[in-house]
Amino acid sequence: MVGKSNLRRAFEGTGLYMVVALYVIFALFPIYWTVKISVTPQNLLYSEGIKLWPSKITLANYRSVLAASDFPRYFLNSMIVSISTSLLVTAIASLAGYALSRFIFPGKVWVSLLLLLTQTFPLVMVIPPIFRIMGQLGLTDNLYGLIIIYTAFNIAFATFLMQSFFDGVPKDLEEAAMIDGCSRFQALRRIILPLTLPGMGATVAFVFTAAWSELLFALMLINSEGQKTFSVGLLTFIGKFAVDWGQMMAASVLALIPVCLFFAFLQRYLVTGLTAGAVKG
Amino acid sequence: MRKFALSMCFGVAAMALSTASALADTTVQLVEVITSPQRTEFLKSQLAEFEKANPGIHVEVVSLPWGEAFEKFLSMVQAGQIPDMVEMPERWMGLYANNGQLEDLGAYMKNWDEAKTLGDRAKQLGSTVKSTQFMIPYGYYINAMFWNKKLFKDAGLSGPPQTMDEFAADAKQISAKLPGKYGYCLRGGPGAFGSIQQFMDNVDGKPGYFNADGTSIFNEEGAVKGLQMLADIYQKGWAPKDSVSWGFNELVTGFYTGTCAMLNQDPDALIGIAEKMKADDFAVAPWPVGTSGKAYPALGYAGWAMMSASKHKDETWKVMSFLLDNKQNLGWAKTVGTLPIHNGAEQDEHFKTEQFSGWFTELKDTTKYELVTPPTYLENLGVFYDSQVPKNFQAVLLGQKTAKEVADGWAKFLNDEQAKYMAAHK
Amino acid sequence: MAEARSDEINSQAKMRRLRIWAEPWLYLSPALIFIVTVLLLPLVIGISYSFYKFSAFHSEYAGFDQYRALAADPVLYHSLSNTLWWTGASLILQFFLGLGLALILNRPFLGRKLVQAVVFLPWAVPTFLTGLTWAWLFNPLIGPIPHVLYFLGIQSEAVTILASPDHAMWGPIAANVWYGIPFFAITLLAARKSIPTELYEAASIDGATAWQQFTKVTLPFLAPTIAITVMLRTVWIATFADLIYVMTAGGPAGSTETIATYIYVTTFKALDKGYASAIAVLLLVLLILYALLVIQLRRRLLRDF
Repeated sequence: MVGKSNLRRAFEGTGLYMVVALYVIFALFPIYWTVKISVTPQNLLYSEGIKLWPSKITLANYRSVLAASDFPRYFLNSMIVSISTSLLVTAIASLAGYALSRFIFPGKVWVSLLLLLTQTFPLVMVIPPIFRIMGQLGLTDNLYGLIIIYTAFNIAFATFLMQSFFDGVPKDLEEAAMIDGCSRFQALRRIILPLTLPGMGATVAFVFTAAWSELLFALMLINSEGQKTFSVGLLTFIGKFAVDWGQMMAASVLALIPVCLFFAFLQRYLVTGLTAGAVKG
Repeated sequence: MRKFALSMCFGVAAMALSTASALADTTVQLVEVITSPQRTEFLKSQLAEFEKANPGIHVEVVSLPWGEAFEKFLSMVQAGQIPDMVEMPERWMGLYANNGQLEDLGAYMKNWDEAKTLGDRAKQLGSTVKSTQFMIPYGYYINAMFWNKKLFKDAGLSGPPQTMDEFAADAKQISAKLPGKYGYCLRGGPGAFGSIQQFMDNVDGKPGYFNADGTSIFNEEGAVKGLQMLADIYQKGWAPKDSVSWGFNELVTGFYTGTCAMLNQDPDALIGIAEKMKADDFAVAPWPVGTSGKAYPALGYAGWAMMSASKHKDETWKVMSFLLDNKQNLGWAKTVGTLPIHNGAEQDEHFKTEQFSGWFTELKDTTKYELVTPPTYLENLGVFYDSQVPKNFQAVLLGQKTAKEVADGWAKFLNDEQAKYMAAHK
Repeated sequence: MAEARSDEINSQAKMRRLRIWAEPWLYLSPALIFIVTVLLLPLVIGISYSFYKFSAFHSEYAGFDQYRALAADPVLYHSLSNTLWWTGASLILQFFLGLGLALILNRPFLGRKLVQAVVFLPWAVPTFLTGLTWAWLFNPLIGPIPHVLYFLGIQSEAVTILASPDHAMWGPIAANVWYGIPFFAITLLAARKSIPTELYEAASIDGATAWQQFTKVTLPFLAPTIAITVMLRTVWIATFADLIYVMTAGGPAGSTETIATYIYVTTFKALDKGYASAIAVLLLVLLILYALLVIQLRRRLLRDF
């Protein structure tokens, strides 16, 4: 009996590891491919295209991206936009999510529907009007315009997320505080928010990624080199007559590194954070 | 008191200097659309030379990624963000010129020295819309046939095909004799129409898109046969199966990896191919002739245009004429892979090689080769290429629609557009 | 005297009621202001385009003509069915694989922390880059997938599936699944972690099998999270044009054209903003109906539970 369950346990164990390994390979393979191309010398790119690792590796692509192109600048712009957007959205969504979680009021369903509405149309549809409006406000060709648009677009998702975190925190906490004399807002700030800090970290992470990889608006609203984000910068490697794969992949890898670090740091909070309130959704 | 007066003097002097330079400093905004890191670098070096020779004019370069350049530039213009000058591919000209967005360059050209050495073609091609010079080309893209000498030898063929029938036979032989290799690098994806027009015209024996009376050539019997030939090449396996969605990159990759033996392309493909293939392994021949004993290779062009909304027209012309003068243009043509616009270019070292002979033969031998330019005066030419051609061509290749059906559709679209144009410009 | 006091009490009561009524709206106001000014206003303008016929530089009023053209457009129906196919397949695969992964990550094993970090990576890659990379992974000239498929006997020759009208859709679906698994894995893992372990202990004392524990404990607790993530992700996938456009441009011969790519192509290649807008309105209506359906389902589920 004992032997059987041990065997079964071993079986299940290896089965588990196999599945995990399979998934990790699946998740990492395209990224691995990207890295591989970024270190393949130009002349071997097509002749050795299918090999798992090139016969000679080169760091020339990384050097040219960092030194010659405007990439460091694009990178910085993306950072500024993504960080600002994620912080701004999290602040706004915390307030909104709190309202949806705590209050019952007429029109509540409509608010949720309204938020959802903002996700149901393709951005292409609103580019011409936004372009016009932003143009008249002088917000095209600079990062502020992007931050404003990204914020608006991400509020819905972030609000729903924060709502579910707040749902996981019992209402008695702030009610007790309010009986003691705090205003609701003070109770929110001093007691509730610290409990949902991990959840806010998760929201920051998701919004950061969304802003980081957004392409369409960055392309349409920004003209000057000094304001481009790195997604648009990647497009410059795709010319009419050639694709500079080596440099493009090198730039992508470089761009993934801070995102990776950011997530490695946040991922502890990510999971425990989402834990704190995702029960009722 | 003295210190105060002194600082006041400095202040006033500084202000005067800065306003003086500010008054003299005009910024010309130039938008490039066929962008690549190499082109941008070269362009910027040319402009640096210009700025040195013309203090007081500063050129700001806005680079649009080619894949999205059309959408982005149109959005910019529609929203009123209009630059001073723009790199203009020929197929965009009809759209902007017919809507009053481009400035007439005729007056400027009259006083331009270099206009004397400018080939007639440049003047003619830039003024197809309303006979007004709305743009000046900076180079020509002419299609000729790249062929892989090694693959031909291995299949037992001695040289490139001279006629369309030989072409089909050669494609068949190469695909049959060499496993995993194909005769023709077919372009089924974006930009396919250049080759389609050549096949249709060659087999029909007539050049261009329209007859003299304005009806489209494309649904005549011979033209439909030409389209069918392309479908046959695909369906019989003389072109790779993937080629139904091949764009420029996949096409050129197919050629220089030795997967397909014949490629219809212009000199800019040469740049990429020459890097990756040995010079002995390939050559460029003129395009095979069709039923009339002539071939009708496509001639494309791109150039510079001035926006009519520009507030610095004279300075913009200075920049344009600088970039288009003989010396600058030769350098540009070499870097980007076009044929230069001034007379005498074929005498230049760079263009005298065997690789370029195919194109120059087509340019010079007017008995066998008649170059076909697209009807760039049509406002919706871009719409034709981008939304009428791709899906329907793929449908023909895949056998979902007949060649006649698709050719009729194209002819109808073009006829309507032509009629619209002719009605508006009696 | 008494009157004055009761007036005061009345107005105080009114003030309190006003404040109570206003409170939630105060918290919601930043979000609402942003959304209404930046998104809804342009949306209304965008919807108004559908009543005009556009060319690049001109427009003329067209009433409901664009909608009539919509009803008669065969490409539209084809795109609708493609969209269903695209959304359904992507969602089902992502969801179940993500759920499975979440459950696996819930158990302790060696290297779990590292795997948790790795899991998020695909979601962090910009989608057009994902599309490009996958397109070239499918290209037999420099990508391994066709050769692997040929080796496994799934394909008769090593070609890209993106060029085959019957199978091309699987390319973007594969890329989308790769991209979307982390979203479900992470959110469902978190929801799973918040289920109190006592419930499982109680269930196993009662003799419940693993499967029963899953259906009677795990699923009900996950249901609300599932509802909202599935709803959001469906809406996102349906309006998602990047991946498909980069990989196939809607081809070959329109076999991978979804509503989202059709809108993009109509706006920028056929240059008719009005028609594109009408299609987008159709999509919007369909998605809202879908959302309402999901909300109803969720209410029903919670009520039963």
